[in-house]
Amino acid sequence: MKPLLVGALLASTSVTSALAQTGTDITVVLSEELDLVEPCMATRSNIGRVIMQNISETLTELDVRGDAGLMPRLAESWEDKGNGTWQFKLRQGVTFSDGSAFDAGDVKHSFDRVFSEAITCESKRYFADTKLTFDVVDDTTINVKAEPAQPILPLLMSLVTIVPSETPMEFVRDPIGTGPYVMTEWTAGQQIVLDRRDGYWGAQPAVTKATYVFRSEPAVRAGMVAAGEADIAPQITAEAADNPATDFAYPNSETVYLRLENLDAPTSDIRIRKALNAAIDREAFIGTLLPAGTELAVAMVPPTTLGWNPNLKPPAFDPELAKQLIAEAKADGVDTSLPIEIIARTENFPNVTEVAEALTQMLTDVGFNASLRMVEVAEHEQFYSKPYPEFEGTRLVVAQHDNSRGDPVFSMFFKYASDGTQSGVADPALDEMIAKASAATGDERAALWSETFAYVHDTIVADVLLFHMVGLSRVSERLDFTPTIATNAQLQLSEINFK
Amino acid sequence: MTKLIGQRAVASLLSLLVLMVLVFFLSRLTGDPAVLFLPIDATEEMKEQFRVLHGLDRPLLEQFNQYVLDLLQFDFGDSLRKARPALDLVLEAYAWTLPLALLTMTFVITAAIILGSLAAFKVGGFFDRLVSIVSLVGASAPDFWIAIVAIMVFSLSLGWLPTSGVGSVAHWILPMAVLFIRPFGLIVQVVRSSMLSAQSSAYVKTARAKGVKNLRLIFIHTLRNGMLPVITVIGDQAAAMLNGAVIVETIFGFPGVGKLMIDSILQRDFNVVLAAILVTAVAIFLMNILIDIAYGLLDPRIRQ
Repeated sequence: MKPLLVGALLASTSVTSALAQTGTDITVVLSEELDLVEPCMATRSNIGRVIMQNISETLTELDVRGDAGLMPRLAESWEDKGNGTWQFKLRQGVTFSDGSAFDAGDVKHSFDRVFSEAITCESKRYFADTKLTFDVVDDTTINVKAEPAQPILPLLMSLVTIVPSETPMEFVRDPIGTGPYVMTEWTAGQQIVLDRRDGYWGAQPAVTKATYVFRSEPAVRAGMVAAGEADIAPQITAEAADNPATDFAYPNSETVYLRLENLDAPTSDIRIRKALNAAIDREAFIGTLLPAGTELAVAMVPPTTLGWNPNLKPPAFDPELAKQLIAEAKADGVDTSLPIEIIARTENFPNVTEVAEALTQMLTDVGFNASLRMVEVAEHEQFYSKPYPEFEGTRLVVAQHDNSRGDPVFSMFFKYASDGTQSGVADPALDEMIAKASAATGDERAALWSETFAYVHDTIVADVLLFHMVGLSRVSERLDFTPTIATNAQLQLSEINFK
Repeated sequence: MTKLIGQRAVASLLSLLVLMVLVFFLSRLTGDPAVLFLPIDATEEMKEQFRVLHGLDRPLLEQFNQYVLDLLQFDFGDSLRKARPALDLVLEAYAWTLPLALLTMTFVITAAIILGSLAAFKVGGFFDRLVSIVSLVGASAPDFWIAIVAIMVFSLSLGWLPTSGVGSVAHWILPMAVLFIRPFGLIVQVVRSSMLSAQSSAYVKTARAKGVKNLRLIFIHTLRNGMLPVITVIGDQAAAMLNGAVIVETIFGFPGVGKLMIDSILQRDFNVVLAAILVTAVAIFLMNILIDIAYGLLDPRIRQ
């Protein structure tokens, strides 16, 4: 009886593994389960990886694989009509997965949901200071008026997924979209299944079915791909990435930095801020605590962002210069003995504790009175966002910021404007630069952002920018798929092919 | 016996009420769920909207009154994050935790009693030493390490078992094996020492003098009297499993109540935390009743 039982168990295992590798069906293992499968929450990365452009689509789409910039998706074209109004011409012949036709009324309803008081949709944050008015011209034409005028409105359209007009003003559990896939199963705690659907307006993707499973432990996620139980693990750690044939590093659009409070002593003195920058040996982290491929940061946004300034150089590691700057500040009456508390969040990124410990030690080595405090996510938020708690010295917050949207506007106001929620700066000149760059278009916009990056990095030395991070993915050898900077926030099944 | 169980039930009910009040107020001191649900750059208006939608803007006492009124109708409210009834989430998770705990504890109890009793029969012998070493290693080895090593050996190297998940019977083997080790290590040692002290009793010596055979002597005469402290430890270990096996659930992707509870605490999903604690408390209360009944069956003095 016992051998029979063991045999049956092993047989069931091999069947399970074989199924994961069959034909054009794939299994994706994600690090956390989705709380919701709601289209208006698709800008949340764990939800976006399943929904965005798979189930639900947007009017426009940012090209992250090439340099095409903003591309049409459900909108075929758009035009600035002046006075803050943009006209979008919609794609014809598009249907939702429930069979209903897509038209301009669906676009208006999708935005009505985003701004509804009945639900808290994440994408609403991108329109915080902008009032949008929708005018349905005909089934395939819609005018959107933004007050104040929003020069990047077409880009913002890449963040809002379109749902049918019948979608209720509450979070849904069976999302209906125009994408190439439809959700056919959601077993809470276990898996979500997407099936390719007939009737999609675009080219049929190669993947016929995608099953998403959830495992918290990176070694297990990597092991599942190695064992043939899964085909893609979008996030694994450097320790688990030990197979060059299947493991890929990709810039994941996250930037790690130390947020300084420029109004607090002693960091109100620019020499102290420069000393903090000179005290840190950034290169020493790469290939040790952080994966090879991690880049030194000179701006809050990754290099693929509009207005990237190639002339900015990371501060050199120069402990003697740091000591000299501290001495000069002290001689001018700056109390350099004030405590500097470094606040870091547990599980913010792999090896965050060790990184924070090393940063603290480097600051101590040049003479700062630095200490480290590791906190969990809710407590970290209290230190990271205004109003900041009082402290006798100053706090340096280790934070990680994601901007894969292609434009600095999604970062710069929040992080550097006087009224920015996580800003440690109150500089009227910088406020004006951010406002001007945010309102500009085209080449002028890129140039203004470029100047703003230089001002933040070189002129006022607002913070300690550290690293542009890389993510690590494991991809089965049977797939033809390379992760991109967007993989952090979305995983388009249509980009996956088979060898 | 009935009176004893009745007294236990009343005491447990009072404990539950105190627990619910404490958890309600303490959980709300830990932070604002709006901050965790919404992105870091959400506007204050969005955060306030979230609080209003979920009644978190109202005075704490008003929230508590509403909570009690809802609870009287068995309404635990919706999960703040998953937009589903909190009780449904907890019961779904328990549907996985309960069989995992029951099956594992059945194996643990059976193996620990048999091996612990046999080890105590010949103290210092090879079998006793082997059981002692195995149980000590089992009681002290970290679950996390065992789980990862087990996956590397049995899933990746040998390819015998799936790494994780709940798709088939084979998926249960590694989680159960990892969960088995620690309570087995503890209980087998308690069984052994309890049996040793029972063996020195006069009635065992008398039975031995009368020529009672070894197996009957161990499992009938000695074991029954040696079981009382063992049942206490079994109760503790079973209660820990009913709380969920967080590490095993996390590593093996097992959708049990332990991970649900930890995630809900970290995310300040108050309604799920309260529902999970209440359901777990009821499960432990019922298990304690069973333990009391077991005491009574083994020792007539307790029945009286």
